[in-house]
Amino acid sequence: MQRLKEVDVVVLGLGMVGSMVAKELAAAGYKVVGLERGEARFTVPEFQSPAIHDELRFAVRKALMQDNTREPVTFRNHASEVALPIRRWESFLPGTGLGGSMVHWNGQTYRFQANDFQLATRTRERYGKRFLDPDLTIQDWGVTYEDLEPHFDRFEYLLGTSGKASNIKGQRQPGGDPHESPRSRDYPTPPQKELHQGALFRKAASSLGYNPFPQPSSNLSQPYTNPEGMKLNACVFCGFCERFACEHFAKSTPQTVILPVLLANPNFELRTGCQVQRINLDSARKHATGVTYIDAVGREFEQPASLVITSMFALNNVRMLLLSGIGTPYDPVSGRGVVGRNYTYQTVSSAAAYFDQDVIVNPFMASGASGTVINDFAGDNFDHGGLGFIGGAYIGAVNSGGRPILYHPVPPNTPAWGKRWKQAVIKHYNHTIIIGVHGSSIAHRGNHLDLDPTYRDAWGQPLLRMTFDFPQNDLKMSAYLTAKAAEIGKAMGAKEVAGSPREGPYTTQQYQSTHNTGGTVMGDNPRTSVVNRYSQSWDVSNVFVIGASNYPQNASWNPTGTLGALTYWTIDALKNKYLKNPGPLVSA
Amino acid sequence: MARITRRSFVATVGSAGMVPAAALLAAGAPAVAPPPTSHAPGNSADSPGNAGSAQTVYLFFSAAEAVFIEAACERLIPADESGPGALGAGVPNYLDKQLGGAWGAGERLYRSGPWQPGTPSQGYQLPFTPAELFHTSLRAILRNLDAQHSPFAGMSAENQDAYLESLESGAHDLDGVPSAVFFDVLLKMTVEGFFSDPVYGGNRDMIAWRMIGFPGAYADYFETVDRHGVKFEREPMSLAQDGKGHVHMRPDIPAAP
Amino acid sequence: MIAGVRLPADAPKGRAPAFALAFALAFALAFALAFALACAPAAAAAPSAAAKPGETVAPCEACHGAHGEGMAAAHVPRIAGQSAEYLKKQLDDYAEGTRDNPVMRNFAKALSDQQRSTLAARYAAMRATPPPQAAALDAVQRARGHQLAYQGDEQRRVAACNSCHGPDGVGVLHAAPYLAGQSADYLTSALKSFQQDTRRNDAGESMRSVAKQLDDADIAAISGYFSSTQ
Repeated sequence: MQRLKEVDVVVLGLGMVGSMVAKELAAAGYKVVGLERGEARFTVPEFQSPAIHDELRFAVRKALMQDNTREPVTFRNHASEVALPIRRWESFLPGTGLGGSMVHWNGQTYRFQANDFQLATRTRERYGKRFLDPDLTIQDWGVTYEDLEPHFDRFEYLLGTSGKASNIKGQRQPGGDPHESPRSRDYPTPPQKELHQGALFRKAASSLGYNPFPQPSSNLSQPYTNPEGMKLNACVFCGFCERFACEHFAKSTPQTVILPVLLANPNFELRTGCQVQRINLDSARKHATGVTYIDAVGREFEQPASLVITSMFALNNVRMLLLSGIGTPYDPVSGRGVVGRNYTYQTVSSAAAYFDQDVIVNPFMASGASGTVINDFAGDNFDHGGLGFIGGAYIGAVNSGGRPILYHPVPPNTPAWGKRWKQAVIKHYNHTIIIGVHGSSIAHRGNHLDLDPTYRDAWGQPLLRMTFDFPQNDLKMSAYLTAKAAEIGKAMGAKEVAGSPREGPYTTQQYQSTHNTGGTVMGDNPRTSVVNRYSQSWDVSNVFVIGASNYPQNASWNPTGTLGALTYWTIDALKNKYLKNPGPLVSA
Repeated sequence: MARITRRSFVATVGSAGMVPAAALLAAGAPAVAPPPTSHAPGNSADSPGNAGSAQTVYLFFSAAEAVFIEAACERLIPADESGPGALGAGVPNYLDKQLGGAWGAGERLYRSGPWQPGTPSQGYQLPFTPAELFHTSLRAILRNLDAQHSPFAGMSAENQDAYLESLESGAHDLDGVPSAVFFDVLLKMTVEGFFSDPVYGGNRDMIAWRMIGFPGAYADYFETVDRHGVKFEREPMSLAQDGKGHVHMRPDIPAAP
Repeated sequence: MIAGVRLPADAPKGRAPAFALAFALAFALAFALAFALACAPAAAAAPSAAAKPGETVAPCEACHGAHGEGMAAAHVPRIAGQSAEYLKKQLDDYAEGTRDNPVMRNFAKALSDQQRSTLAARYAAMRATPPPQAAALDAVQRARGHQLAYQGDEQRRVAACNSCHGPDGVGVLHAAPYLAGQSADYLTSALKSFQQDTRRNDAGESMRSVAKQLDDADIAAISGYFSSTQ
């Protein structure tokens, strides 16, 4: 093993979070090394079309995702089962490579609402202490929406997100989401064009008294230059968004919004093909000395650093702390420990609306976020009294493409193959609208992450083990909200509507979402959180964990917008508090 | 259904000589060399009007396996009044090239043991690569049908469907492979072969895309997205077609970049 | 020379070769009158009969050629076999001014919507057109043109031309016109007009975004490259 020269900061994982942190700290004069397990890739040539518009390669075979042949995750629904490797990614698709998951995300850019950051307190206040099943371990975040608002703003302007504000400093604006928490200003670019399916959804939702609005999209509606000087182009609705990279410089990705600035700074050094094995601690195990990693050739290095930032995909952040022995691993039996606790996901379902032949949908024309949605059933935007669950979902016409291997909707009771299947596919392909229901995921004491006792990665380290099933709360929520979605489908004039609420048990074999959250939860109390409100480890004060792994539970919306805000909030704390005076920022 | 003779074949594997820049890009390699100024005629097994029985050089399937696969795929997606089915679309060719290539050898599959059957939520847990899964399953299927003197290709369509349904329901153990697992992979890959870009050797002449109206790999819809409710009329386009419309197949494009 | 009158093509400001300018002006002046008479709307008081469909081709022919082959030296594009929808849109945009060209604007404004569609369809259907004159390119330019066409440029933040303009630049219906076999001088002038915002009829400002990132060497390379492909 070779010991390298010490640097100020080592950043693990060069996705969006890592790129933002590295850029800010390098710009502030610190020597930063970025370690990325995957390879460098750029819009030219790796993301160019027509080659990138290959559904088989990118959507079915998942070419841009983490290499599961070397490091999968093991899974079981319950602790009574033996966890087995997820041998092919299906349900969730962890990213890798320079730029990480935001290279191939859908660009759906939401803010969690004020209520979400104090979910425990506000739920108790509104519904009483007895409302919740005692096995549900929801918590407050330790930061408020107000703390994060300037950072939401900054992140949206970094990306150039296209949308319409509804609440600017308390002033109501038409055309946006009336439920949104107050913003300091409008989105940097106007909403993307409305699709035909969005128009149909909007009219039906309005007729039912709901408040449809355009999905905030980081596939930009028009050319934009961000505060870093990066120019983005207008999205052309190619319908190859999630799982694909964008050839047009129109999707907000690290490559298009910030990487060129970072890579041009001589204070920053990027090393790709580097698999970090652990964060190294001193003998008292209270201070990190740096990290150990193995490069693509198999050589082991120690990179000493004063500050370690782990900004990998959420699951990998959790695993890194477990492999490094930072923080007490969670034990679901005793309820003690914190690392791996409160693992949550996303409760996703849909209602399919089948129309007559005269309704032409053209599903292949879409961006990843050109939908029309309502938040009337999201979060705590509706009265849950008597319903038996908390949480909610945004509901909308959010289909992001019509790629036929994976998208060929047929009505219920259609055979899975044969002539009748073929005829149904032809009949319904261009005349179906899928109404998405994107629901929150509540924390449950049984759902957790830890290290697998049996299976190892290609470097010989234990795999992450996931124990998860949908809590009853979320299944009840899904049934209720999917029925609401089906009502909207009927109001759209569909000939037939089929709701498919989420049902247990959770399966890893059907794609639902890559919003794996929790495991390194943030909070005010070290007994129930891994990091404090500044994403700083309670146990090792020179380790900061930044990722959706910090979320105590997952809200109704895609996590990315909130993660961007959390990242700028943490960067602020690093630059203005921690680096000026290293040590714990919050007393335990 | 007519039996397919195995006497004469026409190569359908992609053009041997020139590797067009688009294909180089598909492999992620920077392509800077200018193309030749005139296009070679190319192997036009992808010419329109070649629907009907596939004439494929099989590199993975044995002759007997290919006979079964062709007939089975054609029941999964049959030819009918709307147009060709799996056979006419070249799905057996797609399967053959995928199973004989990196995907068949276990690309993107975590292959370490120990192995246990697992719950449905845990998915595929067999040690077999796709290639091994097919050879093992087909060996058992052919042996069983031979023993009954009832080759699949000779059955009526109804009986073929009934047999496939019995595989689908898990009624057979195929030398250790639960038949439902084999059927599931066969169906999945048949749908892939039908709807994937023709660069992979299926979806011949983009027949499947034509059937549903999917325009393919060239996808700039900024202006047309405003034409709400108007049918989009354009020939489908493959990522592997050149300026003359010839599709240069490259079934060996790897999953990982 | 009358000050302020532009060439029929969207030439870059102040860069027209002198002979082409005079040549085009002569045609413009001579044919503007004939054209106006020929295209008199049926309802107008003009004594001559309403133009038969064939007669409206003549003024186009003068610059765009009998077979739609264009006039490279005057930056007049080849329009034979171009998408009818695209040609119609250009006429609409000339009339409206989002594609800024006073001569084409006059021609376009004098045409009814139906006449524009008819003309566009006529030129779209032309196939037996002589091959274009390829520009002379050295190996470096050819390689650069090919690179921009098939890959794009990361530093310049431009995607591959072919991603919208089709395999080998042959055009994609409803999306982008063909570039293959187009006159290099015309392509150069088109890119320049996007760069200078005199042409603003590109969906999503996509061509303006591209053109503003390219320098003159890139423009020469890409224009020359496509002029030499078929």
